[in-house]
Amino acid sequence: MDSSNDEALDIIITNVVATFRVRCHLNLRTIALEGNNVIYKPEVGKVLMKLRKPKITASIWSSGKIICTGATSEDDAKVGARRLSRVLQKLGFRVRFSAFKVVNVLAVCSMPFAIHLIDFTKKNRPIASYEPELHPAATYRIKHIKATIQVFSTGSITVTGPNVQNVATAVEEVYPLLFECSKPLCK
Amino acid sequence: MLNWNVCPSLYCLCQDHAEPLTSKRLYLPGHILRAPLSLRCTGRQFIWKMSRAGLSCPGCGSSNVVDDDLYCQAQLVCVDCGSVVSEGALADDYVGDTEISYSRTTAVAKKPCMNLIKGLQRVKAICRILRVNGEIENLSQTYYSQAYQHVGFIRVSLQKKEVLAGCCVLVSCRLLNWPITMGTISCLLDADPMVVGVIYQEMVKILNIEAPIFNIADVMEAHSQEYQISSLHVPEELSENSKDLAKRAVALVELAADSWIVTGRQPIPIMMAAIYLSWQSLKPNKLRLKFTLDKFCQIAKVNKLKPAMKRITELKEVLCKLGKEIPWVNEAVTPDNVVRQVEDIVKHRYALLRRALRTHQDALLAECQASCEDSLTEESAPSQEQNSNASFLQQCELNAKRGRRDGDDNPCTLPELHSDTQDNQGPAPNWGKRMLFAPPCVIHAKKRRVEQRVLTDVTGDEEISDSEIDSYIRTPLEAREFARTQKMLSE
Repeated sequence: MDSSNDEALDIIITNVVATFRVRCHLNLRTIALEGNNVIYKPEVGKVLMKLRKPKITASIWSSGKIICTGATSEDDAKVGARRLSRVLQKLGFRVRFSAFKVVNVLAVCSMPFAIHLIDFTKKNRPIASYEPELHPAATYRIKHIKATIQVFSTGSITVTGPNVQNVATAVEEVYPLLFECSKPLCK
Repeated sequence: MLNWNVCPSLYCLCQDHAEPLTSKRLYLPGHILRAPLSLRCTGRQFIWKMSRAGLSCPGCGSSNVVDDDLYCQAQLVCVDCGSVVSEGALADDYVGDTEISYSRTTAVAKKPCMNLIKGLQRVKAICRILRVNGEIENLSQTYYSQAYQHVGFIRVSLQKKEVLAGCCVLVSCRLLNWPITMGTISCLLDADPMVVGVIYQEMVKILNIEAPIFNIADVMEAHSQEYQISSLHVPEELSENSKDLAKRAVALVELAADSWIVTGRQPIPIMMAAIYLSWQSLKPNKLRLKFTLDKFCQIAKVNKLKPAMKRITELKEVLCKLGKEIPWVNEAVTPDNVVRQVEDIVKHRYALLRRALRTHQDALLAECQASCEDSLTEESAPSQEQNSNASFLQQCELNAKRGRRDGDDNPCTLPELHSDTQDNQGPAPNWGKRMLFAPPCVIHAKKRRVEQRVLTDVTGDEEISDSEIDSYIRTPLEAREFARTQKMLSE
C-alpha cells in the first residue's frame, strides 16, 4: 500500500493555554464584586473569569499573572487575553498587557485506520510506552519538539505541545510510524 | 631530675626556688621535653642550650636564639634576655598528608537505613507470597535498593515506599518471564491501582528499565487457577480442569486479539470473558449454557467485573461471524447457539478468518459494482463517463485481487476502495463500518455533535469595542445589589 495519501489529515485544535501579565496588583474582591461571569475562589487566592467571545476561562491572581484556557487557536487566545485586560482596565486597574505566551496546545487527529498498539510500542521502544492496565492509549514522547502523543487503537490521537507548529510537526513525524502498525504482525 | 610543677608562664618551674620570673616573658619548659632547651630562671640554677643559627634577638642583639616547643606553641626565644623573637602557630601544622574533616574523624561506622532494611524484607516477603524464584527475588531487591536511594524516592512517604517494593517485584517478574498483573500487586499491597501505576512508571523511568509489554496469554494460566472450578470445589457436571480451561481461553484471547477486541482494553475483564466462554464451550450442555456470568462468578468464587459482560458480547459477535463460514453448519449461527460451535471455530480459526474476509470482500465488490451500474443507468452516459466508470470497475477488481493476495498474511485488512464515490456518503469515520473486524468503538461509533464553527480570520490584534467590554462589568446598581445579597446569604 502506498503511504502518500491525497487526502489531508484534519488536525483539530481543541485547547490553547496562554499566560500573560498585567503588571499591576489586582484586588480580587473588587473584580468579584464588579465583574460579570466571575467566580471568586478565596481558598486558592484566585478569580475565574469567563468570556463569551472567544470562549475562554481565565484564572486571575492578585499578583497580576493570568492564565487563559479554552481558546481554539493562538490568535483567539491573544484576542481573549487582550479583551480580558480591557475589562480589568475598565474596572479601574492600571493594566499594561505584557508577556503574552502560548504555553500549551492540545489537538486531536483521527487516522482512517486502526492501530495495533502492541506492535507500535514494540517497534518504537523506548520512546513509546503502553500499559494496558493503566491507560488504553500508548504514549509517544518526541523530546526535540517537546510533544506528547497519545495513540488510541481506534486511530484517534491526541497531541500536546508548546505551540501549534510543534503539534503539526509531531503529527507529521508520527504518521508513518502509525501507518506501519495499521496491520497486525503476520502470523 | 628536676620536679617541674609551676605554671611556666610566670614562675620558674624548678622546685628549688618557686619564684616569679621577670616581666619579660621567660620561656620555661614543662617536664614533657622532646629536645633540650635553654632556660633561665632568676636563680640561674642551670641552663640548657639549643641555639638557632642565623637569628639575632631584636632586644639585645645576641645571636643566642633557641627554638622551643612548649605544649602546642613553637617559639624562638633569646637566651640572654629572655624575649620571644617569634611565635609559631598556636596549633600544630598538619604533618599528615590530607585534611580530615571533623565529621569523618568523629564518624562511627555508617549504619544502613532502617527503612531500607525493612523495605528489602518486604520485597522478600512479597516474593515468597508469589512463590517466584530466587533470581527474581535478588533482582527485585537490587532494584529496590537502587530506587530507594534515588533522589526521586528517598523522601516519599512510607506507604509509597511499600508500593515501590511491589513495583520492583512486578518489573523483575516481567523481565524474567514470570508475568503477573498490576491488579495482583495492588491486591497484595492493598493499594489503589492508580497509585501503583504512577509509582511503577516513575520507577521505570528513573531506573531506565525496558520491561516487556504485558501479554495476556502469558498471564492466563495463573489467572485461571484463581477460578475455583475444579472437581474439588464444584459438582462434577460443572467442574473443569484448569489446564484445559486455560488452553481454550488462550485460543479465544488470540482470536480476540486478531479481531481488535484486546488492543487498548483492560486485560482482566477480557480474561474473565474468555474463561467463561471456554468453560461453557468445553461441555456445551443445557445446564452450562443457562449459567449467566453472575452465577459463574459465584460458583467460581471470583468478583465479577462489569466490562466482562461487554467483552462476552463482542467475542460472541466475532465468533458468529466466523461460525457462519463453517461449511458443515446448516442452521443460522446466532449469539445464543454459537457456543456449541466454539470448539470447531477455535480449531480452524485461521482458515475461517480467511474465508470470512474473502466473503466480506466479495460482498463489498458486488455492492460497489451494483452502485456503478446504477449510476450508469441513471445518467445519459457520455463516453468519458463510461470510460471512467469502466476504469473504476477495473480498479475495484484490482483492489479485490490485491486484497485476496494480502488476505493470507494479514487477515484483518481490506483493500482501499476508491474513495471518490464514497466521499459523499460521509466523512472518514465511515471506514470502520466497511471493515469486517475493527475496534468496536469504531464500528459502533457514537454520533458526535458537530460544532458549527465560524472560521473567521482572527489575527490577535483587532480592535475591541467598548460596548463589548461593558457587558462584562456590572453596573454600580447591580454591584450594590450583589453585595447586599451576599451579606444576607452569609448571615
